[in-house]
Amino acid sequence: MPCLQASSPGSMPYQHHGRGVGCAAEAGAAVGASAGTGTRCGAHDGEVPAEAARHHEHAAPGPGRCCSAVVQRVAAPAEAVWSVVRRFDQPQAYKRFVRSCALLAGDGGVGTLREVRVVSGLPAASSRERLEVLDDESHVLSFRVVGGEHRLQNYLSVTTVHPSPAAPDAATVVVESYVVDVPPGNTPEDTRVFVDTIVKCNLQSLATTAEKLALAAV
Amino acid sequence: MAEICCEAAAAAAGSDQKGECAGSRAARRRRMEIRRLRVVAEEASAKRRRLEADEEDAVGGRAPRYGVTSVCGRRRDMEDAVTARPEFINGHHFFGVFDGHGCSHVATSCGERMHQIVAEEATAAAGSSVSDETARWRGVMEKSYARMDAEAVVSRETAGPAPTCRCEMQLPKCDHVGSTAVVAVVGPRHLVVANCGDSRAVLSSGGATIPLSADHKPDRPDELERIHAAGGRVIFWDGARVFGMLAMSRAIGDSYLKPFVISDPEVLVVERKDGEDEFLILASDGLWDVVSNEVACKVVRTCLRNRAPRGGRERSSPTSNLSPRQSSASGGSSSSGDEEAGGPSGDGAGSESDGESAEDRACAEAAILLTKLALARQSADNVSVVVINLRRRPRS
Repeated sequence: MPCLQASSPGSMPYQHHGRGVGCAAEAGAAVGASAGTGTRCGAHDGEVPAEAARHHEHAAPGPGRCCSAVVQRVAAPAEAVWSVVRRFDQPQAYKRFVRSCALLAGDGGVGTLREVRVVSGLPAASSRERLEVLDDESHVLSFRVVGGEHRLQNYLSVTTVHPSPAAPDAATVVVESYVVDVPPGNTPEDTRVFVDTIVKCNLQSLATTAEKLALAAV
Repeated sequence: MAEICCEAAAAAAGSDQKGECAGSRAARRRRMEIRRLRVVAEEASAKRRRLEADEEDAVGGRAPRYGVTSVCGRRRDMEDAVTARPEFINGHHFFGVFDGHGCSHVATSCGERMHQIVAEEATAAAGSSVSDETARWRGVMEKSYARMDAEAVVSRETAGPAPTCRCEMQLPKCDHVGSTAVVAVVGPRHLVVANCGDSRAVLSSGGATIPLSADHKPDRPDELERIHAAGGRVIFWDGARVFGMLAMSRAIGDSYLKPFVISDPEVLVVERKDGEDEFLILASDGLWDVVSNEVACKVVRTCLRNRAPRGGRERSSPTSNLSPRQSSASGGSSSSGDEEAGGPSGDGAGSESDGESAEDRACAEAAILLTKLALARQSADNVSVVVINLRRRPRS
């Protein structure tokens, strides 16, 4: 395996829910040489459910990059969860830290470009994001960050929604993985701690929102 | 040509300071803002005149003179709240600055409720057997902050449809929203200051500048140690931040970052020193990020001195002197870029004030001048300032 398993970041609130698993390629020619373009990052194996894993595979991040995956269990059917996740034009339906969202192009389908304004107090003001994948059959959504005022360059995210093997009709497993550049002055671990904190908050919020939706539908 | 505000600051600081020249449009915008501030202060003053007729004499004499300003500044939204409650309990006066983040409703809720909670806790503690004044006030403040923090969880409901609150689309528990809270209780014999977050209280006494609070920054050594001991992380991401997210280590609200970001206040109880204590400044980091404690105290001292009690209304104030020179300055100045100052001026969300004494507007002018100085120095945040004159007034 070209990448070492990173130690888990400090314990988090609700740590029995989402978990972050990631790796970072060490800077250096040796690792760069061994991590060819086609080599896949295997760091998420074991944590990401098997049926979702293929959507979260990617080439091992090279020097200056890092990746992670967060898993969230939701006590609601997959369709209820997916109906919230898939609204690329309405991130505030479940994401925290969103002050407003404006569509710059598109109407919610692939290619849609949105400008998300972030609430105050955080080290970001806005994020410009393009929807890359919206697969209603496989329940896969992917977006790329293409601009905005923040420090996360070349951020690519994949979110999958799958029925939980243990209770397929009543519970869901959501996985969000990402690859991103490590900003100057920070370490890969710093970057994962920061991004995982945001992703975990968002997925916890998604769980709450979807569970309420499912209750309302009963 | 030196900017007028920097000129005023230089005069107050007793040293030469060069400031960035501002464009005439930016200068006019700031003058309009300052005029609106003055209108608000004067409205508060008129209200105070009406209230004063009904005021009873109380232990320690009349309520202290004070001035309040709270402006949006260069941010898009106003998320600060300010409270001034003279005589909120017998012989005691409450002042608070609450700098919100994430949204406005936690700060708004603090502005509406903190003084009520402190009054309840102080009244309850007055009957207790604790004889030590310091210990009693510390207990009052610690209980009050804990109650306020618990209320913050549901504050969107209780705060009602605050105009700047945008959380209707989000969860009822907006646990990424929070606020600083710096509170001062001025009593007959003691000053009590409680702080949580990175707003600040500064006392001027005997010509010396004395901080009465210490900013809760995540990289403050004892805060860093506490956060790590709790299993948290502090990451330098545009400054030191808890998990790279929040730039302060203590706040009301922000439950998503508990137990790493706590709401416990640091409480200081100091005896008042008649003849030495001059004034107290409470302000948000929109001021303190760009103005040092010493400069702020020198500005206020100049304002209060120019309004000596005997001098009365005849003396011209520093703020009124600034207007003509400001006009002439804007004519010939040039700027590399326009300031993005904008947004509503005057009292911000949840700001409450009963105004100050009719005999003395110096505190209001001091607060306005500090605010203007912060804006001129490109403060990037809401700016909220309370100036409290601690010199006792004779009984009426």
